[in-house]
Amino acid sequence: MLAGRQGGIKMEVRVMKNVLGENDRVAAENQAMFAAKGVYVLNLMGSPGSGKTTLLEKTMQKLKDELRMAVIEGDLFTTKDAERIDRYGVPVIQINTAGGCHLDAPMVQKVAPQLDLDHLDLLVVENVGNLVCPAEFAVGEADKGVVLSITEGDDKPMKYPLIFKESAVIVLNKIDILPYCNFDRTAAREDITTLHPGANIIEVSCTQGDGLDAWCDWLRQRVAETKAQAQKG
Amino acid sequence: MCKECGCGETNGNTRLQFTVHGYTEDSAKEVEKALFGLPGVLFVHIHAHDGSTTVDYQPGKTKLRDIMGVFDERGLEADL
Ligand SMILES: Nc1nc2c(ncn2[C@@H]2O[C@H](COP(=O)(O)OP(=O)(O)O)[C@@H](O)[C@H]2O)c(=O)[nH]1
Ligand SMILES: [Mg+2]
Ligand SMILES: [Zn+2]
Repeated sequence: MLAGRQGGIKMEVRVMKNVLGENDRVAAENQAMFAAKGVYVLNLMGSPGSGKTTLLEKTMQKLKDELRMAVIEGDLFTTKDAERIDRYGVPVIQINTAGGCHLDAPMVQKVAPQLDLDHLDLLVVENVGNLVCPAEFAVGEADKGVVLSITEGDDKPMKYPLIFKESAVIVLNKIDILPYCNFDRTAAREDITTLHPGANIIEVSCTQGDGLDAWCDWLRQRVAETKAQAQKG
Repeated sequence: MCKECGCGETNGNTRLQFTVHGYTEDSAKEVEKALFGLPGVLFVHIHAHDGSTTVDYQPGKTKLRDIMGVFDERGLEADL
């Protein structure tokens, strides 16, 4: 009885490894496709309510006339975020995971033909709100990014280390409400750089506008680098 | 770790327990920071007074040799 159960557990671990291996394979295909077209892809992650969609709204306001943008919206069941993006006239594709806690590479591969890759500079994939699982599944991005908001608490980097290690950019959002929270910004920054030496941390307030220029500059720079890389071939 | 999908950061992780000889309060802090900075290292806990050092890491991303190197570089001896 016990031996049988142990056997079962081992099986599960192996199946899990295969799932991750298969995902990585498809992610590499997606990544090569986007890179060849010179499209910079950002996999934007973070807790529900951290401000991912708001950050995208502000980004579109600032950059949509300058960069050709598209958005893939990952959501459990609804099209609420996609509707918010659609108002800005930026192409948006909805992926509903029907309860699934993260997007994966095959989901993105399936919708990719709906994108006009020849006329695109920046594709942002808003992942399902979750600090754990999305960090494990590449979707074909050039970079991962995470939005951490002040109300989530300064202990979150150490509690969810993987997502902060994996993210090329860490957006610390809602700094406008720092005075009302016990969030220790120095401690949080210190923990993030301990986990990820040299991490690029950008402090923003999506509602007040602080830091959005630095964020947009970073996107511009990555878009330019991706283009240059694609031209080199 | 997510129960829905079985994915989660503890999958494929290894937890190592070392006893390290010769920590000072400062060198323990320094080692903690250096270990955390390695790829795939998700958790580090050090008791400077008795040298017990716990490291959770993904062996696919960092080699045991690199972890040992953190102790070696500082002249610390670590037993597994
Ligand atoms: N005070 C404050 N609220 C914000 C900020 N950014 C987003 N929010 C609010 O946080 C809530 C969740 O934002 P949303 O973009 O939907 O988060 P998502 O779930 O990560 O996409 C909304 O009510 C936003 O108005 C900010 O910089 N400051
Ligand atoms: Mg959202
Ligand atoms: Zn999950």
